[in-house]
Amino acid sequence: MNEAAVRTGRGAGVAAVPPPAILPAARRWSDSAFYPYALVLPALVVLVLVSLVPFCYAVWLSVHSVEYGQVGDFNGWDNFAKLLANDRFWNSLRVAAIFMLIAVPLEFVLGLAGALVLNQRVWGRSVWLPLLFIPSMMAPIVVGLLWKIMLAGSWGLLSVNLIERFGWLDGTSVFASSDHALIALALVDVWQWTPFMMLAFFAGRQALPESPYRAAAVDGANGFQTFFRLTLPLMTPLLVVIGMLRFIDAFKIFDSIFILTSGGPGVSTESPSVLAYKMTFEQWRIGESAALAVMVWVAFFLLCSVFYHVARKRLNAF
Amino acid sequence: MTPRTIHTRTRAAVAMAALTLLCAAVNAQGWSYKEAAKPFAGTKIRVLDEITPLQETMKTLVPEFVALTGIQVEYELLNHFEVINKGQADMLSRRGYYDAVMLHGVQMGQMLAANAIEPLDGFMGDKALMNPGLDLGDMIEPANRSFGVFKGQTYGFLNWNYNMVYWARQDLLSHPAEKAAFKARYGYELAPAKTFKEFLDIGEFFTRKSGQMLAGKPLTTDFYGILHEGITGGATLVSVWENLMKNFGGDLFDAKGAPAFDTPANVAALTLWAKMWEYSPPGQAEYSLVDVPTVMGNGIAAQAIAYSDFVLGVDKPGGSPLAGKFTYGGIPVNAEFKGPRSAGSEPSGIVINKASKNKAATFLFMQWMIDKDTQAKLIAAGKGGVPIRTSSFASPILGGAQAAFYGAMKNTLAVAEAKPKAPKIFEIYDALGPIVQQVGQGKLSPAEGAKQGQAKMLAICKACLL
Repeated sequence: MNEAAVRTGRGAGVAAVPPPAILPAARRWSDSAFYPYALVLPALVVLVLVSLVPFCYAVWLSVHSVEYGQVGDFNGWDNFAKLLANDRFWNSLRVAAIFMLIAVPLEFVLGLAGALVLNQRVWGRSVWLPLLFIPSMMAPIVVGLLWKIMLAGSWGLLSVNLIERFGWLDGTSVFASSDHALIALALVDVWQWTPFMMLAFFAGRQALPESPYRAAAVDGANGFQTFFRLTLPLMTPLLVVIGMLRFIDAFKIFDSIFILTSGGPGVSTESPSVLAYKMTFEQWRIGESAALAVMVWVAFFLLCSVFYHVARKRLNAF
Repeated sequence: MTPRTIHTRTRAAVAMAALTLLCAAVNAQGWSYKEAAKPFAGTKIRVLDEITPLQETMKTLVPEFVALTGIQVEYELLNHFEVINKGQADMLSRRGYYDAVMLHGVQMGQMLAANAIEPLDGFMGDKALMNPGLDLGDMIEPANRSFGVFKGQTYGFLNWNYNMVYWARQDLLSHPAEKAAFKARYGYELAPAKTFKEFLDIGEFFTRKSGQMLAGKPLTTDFYGILHEGITGGATLVSVWENLMKNFGGDLFDAKGAPAFDTPANVAALTLWAKMWEYSPPGQAEYSLVDVPTVMGNGIAAQAIAYSDFVLGVDKPGGSPLAGKFTYGGIPVNAEFKGPRSAGSEPSGIVINKASKNKAATFLFMQWMIDKDTQAKLIAAGKGGVPIRTSSFASPILGGAQAAFYGAMKNTLAVAEAKPKAPKIFEIYDALGPIVQQVGQGKLSPAEGAKQGQAKMLAICKACLL
């Protein structure tokens, strides 16, 4: 009798022993086509309740007039039309796009570079790794306050000791200048999320098999060749997923902007989330803010779909 | 009519008055929170208020009300934004989770338009509920009535009295060398500014570069003459509106409630506003109402206009190295404007949620909060805050070393008025805030700013007031 037969009780030698009564029934359930669905059902229910229901409600609100929180008549595309005619909406998209395009590529490049450095068994790595998590673990509101203390005009630590001492910004401060505030906010995001990217990429790099690297070393590949021919292709799925998540997350930026600039100076740092907050909780234009949420969702859905197909076909990422 | 008849009538009138007074006295003596609350003993009410040192002190007093009345009070304190998110959302949803919610005067227009506030007149007319000794005549006016009374109905009592004051460095204003130099340059004595001209002169005089002398010592950083909130949101627009525009005879709305942002008076006020920025720190455009005291406490500005309740965090032992070196005054006025003066303020109060199921019990709690005894205990706790009763100013706590500060507060409160009831006021703030900021920064001329602001207001509402 082979080992499997002994373990499972299936085989000629044990055929005479009747299995416990409960086993056949348990097998039938676990073998059924519904079993996998039953396992994920609790998670699905939670997901539907906390995600899909509010989203559907937002869609419903977006096509109704909502006056002071009271849902009125169906008004078709009115909320969308008002939003599309609103300069502030387009400005917020521009702000989010600039923010994203500054922050995420920087986080990506610095994170990947840092991951490769960490992979070189640098001294004190076991100490550095947990410390690197600190910015990402901070509540966004704390990050905002921290950078306010650093960059606030005329009293922030860096403002007083560097920016104003050396006259880098003439007659203004970082967050008071519409030319610099958005860049500064993007750099704050880089400060917060680069370590996360670094650790995620480092974990991905650690999971790669070593045999291709040994083969490359035997073939005499240099560092660049190893990186571009091995590391990058092998890590592409991870890079794509992390990159996509960070793009989505960066687009939704709210806390640090709210704390540091409230969307100003003027409306130069007003992201869609900040605009939606003002529309909802200050002005109670809930129909329009729901339309904003829906439009942003649709835009992201399309972008992510394109991203996914490109990543799958061109980069073989999925 | 004979003298005898007159005499008889006078005596009858005096007797009636005496009888009325006697009845009132008996009523006043007979009424108590304990008796009034008997039908509601065991009722639980939820009250949402905004967190400040004063409200934290109030929270310590709430158990006294509970012990007195048997009404259970869940007194929740949240920050400004959460109060708006949770409180206003609850009122608008008609869910009635909170029985009472703190509203700033500026929110009243929205909430009245949404019919989310319970009028108090019915309760006030109920002798079993209304405390005859509440003495609403002692409430600070016009703040109280402008906040809570609308079209003849009462919707709330003043419970908060945010207000702005003029705040300056007394050590600089009284420095002999600075006084002499100022007099030589401007031709009058250096003293806390009472007019905008003086405010600007002092601002200009004290704006100095690092390395220059200030009060006999070389400056290690740049120093500025005027400090003001300048962030896009926040209360920047409120200050420009109430401290500047109204003191020039301007306003956001005309007598009919239509937008009036581009009037010559407002353009003149915006011109002053832009001028003030010339003597302000470079980061002013990012300063919120919280940053103003921080910067003042750091000692890089000579004068500021600030919310009074934030000042005491700095001007107290340990609050700042400059504690005790400040002086205060009412908001400077425009000497050329002969109309009524104005000062930035935000009278606020607790209102009963229309969807509350415990309105009468909540009304008792509201009365107790503004009761003379409760207010006296609040003031006696010495945690700062702004009086809502005229009689509170008689407390020795509000005198002594802080006499100038409370004097300034009293000066402002004498004209403090709640915002007009404009349902779309936050949209207006949102539209005008960036414009006012850009005028300050010199990116827009006052005339252009006024023109753009008017266009934006008209796009929001033509008749903006309820």
